[in-house]
Amino acid sequence: MNESRMMDTIRLALRAVQAGSAEVSVGYGSSITTRMADNIITQNVRQEGHNLSVSCAYGNRHGGASTNDLSDESIRAVVRRAEAIAKVARPDPEFMPPLPATEARKYLKVEGFVPAVLEATPRALASSLAAAARKVRARKLRLSGAVTSGWYLNARGNSAGLRCFHRSSEVETHMTALGAAGSGWAQESSHDPAGVNVGRVAAEACEVAARAQHPGDLPPGKHTVIMQPAAAAEFMMFVAWAGWDAKATDEGRTFLRGKLGKRIFGPNITLRTDPTDPRCPGGPFDWDGLAMRPLDLVRNGVVANLLYSRYWAKRKRKAANGWPTNYIMDGEGTSVDDMIRSTARGLLITRFWYVRYVDRMIPSATGMTRDGLFLIENGRITRPVKQMRFNANLVETLNKVEMTGTPVRSYMLVPALKIRDFPFTSTTKFG
Amino acid sequence: MIHGVVMNELCLRAIGAAKRKGASYADARIVHERHQVIYTEDRRVSDISDSESVGIGVRVIAGGAWGFAATPDLTKAAVEKAAGRAVEVAKASALARAPKGIRWADEPPHHGVFRTPFKKDPLEVPVRDKAGLLLAVADEVLRVRGVKKCTGYMYFTREGRWFANTSGASFESDTVMGVAQYTATAVGPRTAKTRSLEAYPANAGWEHIEATPMLAEARRVGEEAVAKLKGRPGPTGRRDLVLMPSHLALTMHESIGHATELDRVLGMEESLAGSSFATIDKLGKLKYGSPIMNIVCDNTMPHGLATKGWDDDGVAGQRWPVIKDGILIDYQTSREVCHAIGAHRSHGSCRADSWASIPIIRQSNIGLEPGRKTLTPDELIADTKEGILIDGMGSFSIDQKRQNFQFGGDCFWEIRNGKKRAILSDVTYQAITTEFWGAMDAICDRRFWMPFGVGNCGKGDPGQTARMTHGSAPARFRKIRVSPGAK
Repeated sequence: MNESRMMDTIRLALRAVQAGSAEVSVGYGSSITTRMADNIITQNVRQEGHNLSVSCAYGNRHGGASTNDLSDESIRAVVRRAEAIAKVARPDPEFMPPLPATEARKYLKVEGFVPAVLEATPRALASSLAAAARKVRARKLRLSGAVTSGWYLNARGNSAGLRCFHRSSEVETHMTALGAAGSGWAQESSHDPAGVNVGRVAAEACEVAARAQHPGDLPPGKHTVIMQPAAAAEFMMFVAWAGWDAKATDEGRTFLRGKLGKRIFGPNITLRTDPTDPRCPGGPFDWDGLAMRPLDLVRNGVVANLLYSRYWAKRKRKAANGWPTNYIMDGEGTSVDDMIRSTARGLLITRFWYVRYVDRMIPSATGMTRDGLFLIENGRITRPVKQMRFNANLVETLNKVEMTGTPVRSYMLVPALKIRDFPFTSTTKFG
Repeated sequence: MIHGVVMNELCLRAIGAAKRKGASYADARIVHERHQVIYTEDRRVSDISDSESVGIGVRVIAGGAWGFAATPDLTKAAVEKAAGRAVEVAKASALARAPKGIRWADEPPHHGVFRTPFKKDPLEVPVRDKAGLLLAVADEVLRVRGVKKCTGYMYFTREGRWFANTSGASFESDTVMGVAQYTATAVGPRTAKTRSLEAYPANAGWEHIEATPMLAEARRVGEEAVAKLKGRPGPTGRRDLVLMPSHLALTMHESIGHATELDRVLGMEESLAGSSFATIDKLGKLKYGSPIMNIVCDNTMPHGLATKGWDDDGVAGQRWPVIKDGILIDYQTSREVCHAIGAHRSHGSCRADSWASIPIIRQSNIGLEPGRKTLTPDELIADTKEGILIDGMGSFSIDQKRQNFQFGGDCFWEIRNGKKRAILSDVTYQAITTEFWGAMDAICDRRFWMPFGVGNCGKGDPGQTARMTHGSAPARFRKIRVSPGAK
């Protein structure tokens, strides 16, 4: 699959359209995932797939259909199906016509693809895992984890003449090292294969695991915490997803109602999106071809912008800004070691697990720590403790951030965070 | 054009090619999926779309290790190429294989066709009728004063599957699934609250949606959203909980279903979904719950989401207990791992979510057996002095060994002196799995047993989504720690 074939498919589909307007997208992905448990490769999967989606409209009646069969006959059939649905659909007052071809001039250059990703093979990934496992076994630990290497193509076109294409790559590895009485974890991800090293991640997981053995008890309650970047990312995702949709906010259905332009977080909190950021490239356009731009969601604790769909933007006379394709939280560059040294008593969190909203309107969330929770006393790590559950008001928590680190790519680009009075409500029976 | 004979021939061609390339075992699975989704927001239909996908996945054992490759191209040359790639991948996996290779439990080669029993194919029901039902519901819900939003959706699938393996199995299945749901949102000056109704996901035809009182209950659903908005928060402390089947489905799913998947127990999901506290050294000994707790897996259940005739290991659907009289006695297994507990046959819990995915252990239809004594929900409430009744699913979180959990719900009623009282705005409960199930002291009888389901269970790497049914009757749990959640 390549750009040329995808554009041919889009042209063929648009030629078959009899409806008043149409949008067509073609997606393609190729990935290899090699997985290990207890130092043994348990799964090795090579996947490749493509998909054609067509949305047709008669006036503001619209319908969609998709298929993974890209034969000429199938392309025409999926157009007919989308049209058939559109014909019987009811008028949608929020329907927006296709964007004009000129939208393409607004696209920013996003360097999200590194050709070296094409060189990945199941054997190469398996070799890297096997080598890592040999070193881990020598340390009397067991390694579980996976490495994935993939590349993805996204082409779009519409009946107004807009055409867009983007390609991206993604390499990710996460490793859990297990001892007899505790585990450690580490992860790396990048669009560049050179930015991910299975051996390095395995070694880091082992370091955490070695410290995490035989955790002791610690009562729950409010503790100063240092969230490693992966833990901070898991936490911040639930802030980022909590309620920036402008329509829902204007209708009183998110916690940000009446908060635009107001300072609700601490002054050291800035959360934004920038598809061009080379550390975590996003996409240059949204699902309907809308150009994505850098945008502050929170700037120095102030709610800076809401997210407007094209329909709601038109109704409210605002600029449409689509949905972020990446999230970035800025940091002040304090190292985790310095955060630990500055802490009289607190907890170092490797990562979180199973974080879920309790009430989006606060917003509040609960979740567990996982794979290494460590007590800090008088500026140094003294011992591992059993995992804990938190129940936190996310806004209150982001008013208690005392230090921030250098942003690291995990689920999003986020720095380590030192936060006071983080509320743990229960413990579990293991580390 | 999908033709069963052709599909079967392609599967046989794929496993033949794998054999020639050096596979000691191979299976091939062609899946043809059709989906339809309808979304509504208030009185408008925001999206209707159909999708279709077909392809073949080839899984092999070669050199004592696994390989898998998939392709959407169903030409003879392409399926043979996929088989060859699967063997290459397996040989790469052998760089770090188990010392004794893969043990693979025997299963008689099955043949035949399994079909979901249904009357009306939901994909053939006019979209105008389906969307019309959701819009009629919205009309009714939005009449309730204080309700500002009503969202609805329907999702239907029909899946054709053709399977063959080198042990001689060759079968096909034709499954139909549907779910419909809507949510009313009441908006007040400071917050908003939701209340939902679901025609639970089931392998069934459109008649399942028709049998659910979607429209008849719309007014009540809207009124309960407003009552939640006006309700006071739940208490902090210990209360008896009366949990309805619509709620218990998720609690069982998280604290029993996942904990008894044998691949998790053996550490095969350690790096992502996690493992389990219910380790095999506890088999036959672990007091999972009170003596009235009986948990049964049933992949023969009509309309069960995991009922497909045979799993993707080629194992026939079965019914078996995993917890009997409160004691852990078995697991959900696959042909690869069942030997770890001394079993010679898999229970048939291995499924993939598409042709492009490798089969892994997924939860079966797993549920709580009804109480043996005659007991109605009204009698259960009348026997409860200070408690909370919870209906529907809400917030949920559990640790990676499935011990420490916290659940919310969709609607909560205070129970005081044997009577169901006012709706509460917010309730969560927290417990350790065995302590929670150990506190179960009453289950309503068989008349009140109801199936519900989970339609989006995530597991695996690359991630896969699976569906399974969890049935129960209303049950009571004594003195569980509750709180209204973080404020």
